[in-house]
Amino acid sequence: MANRPNVGGWLKGKTVRKGGIIASNTHTRSNTPQIQSTSTTIFGGGVKDASGRTSEYFSMDDQCPVCKSDRYLNPKLRLLVSSCYHKMCESCIDRLFTLGPAPCPICSKVLRKLAFTPQTFEDLTVEKEVAVRRRMAKEFNKRREDFSDLRAYNDYLEEVEDITFNLINDIDIQQTEARIALHRAENATLIELNIHREEQYAQALREQEDSDRRDREHRALEAKRLEDEEREEREKGRRDIIDRLETSNKDAAKVIARSRADALKRTSARSATTTTLQSNSKLLRSRATQSTVIPDVPHVPLQDDYYAYDDRYQMRNYYDDPLSEAVRKDREGIMRGGGYRVEEAWDRALRCAVAGLDIPPLTGLDSLDNEGFPGHQADVVVASA
Amino acid sequence: MDAVEKANVERQKKWTKDQKVGEGAYAVVYRGREVSTGRKVAIKKIKVGQFKDGLDMSAVREVKYLRELHHLNVIELLDVFSSKTNLNLVLEFLDSDLEIIIKDRSLVFLPADIKSWMAMTFRGLEFCHRNFVLHRDLKPNNLLIASNGQLKIADFGLARDFADPGYKMTCQVITRWYRPPELLFGSRYYSSAVDIWSVGCIFAELMLRTPYLPGESDMDQLKTIFRALGTPTEEDWPGHTKLPDYVPVGQFPKTPLRDLFTAASADTLNLLGKCLIYEPRKRINAKEALHHPYFFALPYPTHPSKLPKPISTQTSRPLEEVDGNVDLSAPGPAVRAAAPNKLKRKLSSPGDELSGRPLARRLDFTLKT
Repeated sequence: MANRPNVGGWLKGKTVRKGGIIASNTHTRSNTPQIQSTSTTIFGGGVKDASGRTSEYFSMDDQCPVCKSDRYLNPKLRLLVSSCYHKMCESCIDRLFTLGPAPCPICSKVLRKLAFTPQTFEDLTVEKEVAVRRRMAKEFNKRREDFSDLRAYNDYLEEVEDITFNLINDIDIQQTEARIALHRAENATLIELNIHREEQYAQALREQEDSDRRDREHRALEAKRLEDEEREEREKGRRDIIDRLETSNKDAAKVIARSRADALKRTSARSATTTTLQSNSKLLRSRATQSTVIPDVPHVPLQDDYYAYDDRYQMRNYYDDPLSEAVRKDREGIMRGGGYRVEEAWDRALRCAVAGLDIPPLTGLDSLDNEGFPGHQADVVVASA
Repeated sequence: MDAVEKANVERQKKWTKDQKVGEGAYAVVYRGREVSTGRKVAIKKIKVGQFKDGLDMSAVREVKYLRELHHLNVIELLDVFSSKTNLNLVLEFLDSDLEIIIKDRSLVFLPADIKSWMAMTFRGLEFCHRNFVLHRDLKPNNLLIASNGQLKIADFGLARDFADPGYKMTCQVITRWYRPPELLFGSRYYSSAVDIWSVGCIFAELMLRTPYLPGESDMDQLKTIFRALGTPTEEDWPGHTKLPDYVPVGQFPKTPLRDLFTAASADTLNLLGKCLIYEPRKRINAKEALHHPYFFALPYPTHPSKLPKPISTQTSRPLEEVDGNVDLSAPGPAVRAAAPNKLKRKLSSPGDELSGRPLARRLDFTLKT
């Protein structure tokens, strides 16, 4: 407050001669800022805190750059941020943009009334970066699993960072927007899928919390029930002893000892059942916590690239091969009945014959030599995929 | 010392043997470590001397196929070396198997867990079949589970490559409860469909938590199958009456799978039904199975690291680390463990074992010595 240029020293309480009244007045004001907008419904958005409210940045030095009114003159002053990241007060917004889109009084970009958002951060560049990053995260949501190798993933992350940087610093905006649009078009389904995944993950977390809470409640109830039972048991045991002492004519000490032993037996039996219950719930709980740490991934039928390339041969329906004579002569259908397939033998013979045809001859163990034949090394893989 | 011997010694030096963890029909399994990295391994010691005809057939098969197959869902053979008269296979160390997990009543299976195990099994099997290898002994106890939850197909002692046309194969393979009807009828010409039947039985077992078709003898096995799935007609399975050991076992009506698997989804039952089709040529193959809608439907298969694991291995892990370290510093780790095995060593032909005890080859990894 002290370095506010346009407000004279008389604002500070100590220079004013009318006692401490004004000084205390400014003090209260700084503690209770009156942010009560008339149009909160319109100016939604902004960063929400944990309780779901929009936490808004403001300071006592706020001044509208358009009408120059400040918080001292107008305690209800509320500055909002335009899409070109310029601040102005609500009354200026109402005044300028109520009749439709109009140019920004600072940079003359055409703005609409609805495009103003509350300010969350003191520094508007941070505000902008957060907004840009939030937008980027919505569309560039690919994950590590979506890439075949780490290199591709890193390249992708770098591209995302590149686009983000451009957007924040207004470099090649048109070109950057084109890049974003292209990415969106190419990956529409994947983006959709990943949004779905995020939701599922959030859902799993919620369920986990729910089940934990239920578990705790259940345990509390159980403990209470046990306590009650125990009390009842003790009570009953005491009555029992008295009854027996009354009716029987045996030695008093013996009677007491016997009923005590009975009671002990009962309690130990009960505690045994409760411990198994507890260990079971612990087991299930530990599985539940695990499931949120490592998410299950969809099934991938084969995890190697064995079938990724085309075979260098085509199987025919029939081969005139003397070896398979026996199978063809199998009039009784004995081989057929046992499930023997001569096609498998043919397939094997052919595969073994052509496997390795594309592999270049070894010219030494120097890896540089192998790079002379890009793409030809893994064409045929047998027994080592 | 000639060059071969020298190379063998070099290899042997790369591994240390710790304590014994289990015993199979023809081998003893030790826990060991790679000297350079400290990585845990399992060392399978095969006795050569005790068999009349030299090396046991299963050991030959195991080395032959595992040397070539490298896949996430197939157990990895890291090294082979000989010590004195024994052959040693160095395999990756896996702490439990699917049978232990199925039997552990404290574990709860979700439908997504079963889906994950099935996907891994089919992936491993597809890899074997694509490389023209039949496993021929699939059962929960041969599907090992790594500490990160990955399922690995193990025990290639009965494996075989696809037969050439007209060549006979033995029908005395696959543990009885998982053996398909064509083998029970004595067919000597069969295909990869035999493994799919076994996987179908394992699939059902995962849902029921008890073996699906537990026959008491080969005859009873057929009866059990037919009782569960109905006696096949000539239309269901053309040519089955011509199979060498065909015997009519009685007529049983078809009951829908839905009656037994009340909680399973329609997709689940569809895939199970396709694995258990009588006609082997119509049975689904591993690649098709992986593309079945069951795997794509929600819930997604559980991530391997979150699959249920037996609690005993989880709690004993820190303890294991401790004695692992102790054994590493000890000079001769194998000597102490080796002594008692000589008494327990069993001699049994593979045929006996298969028809006699369905769970004979069990390696108990939970055992601590």
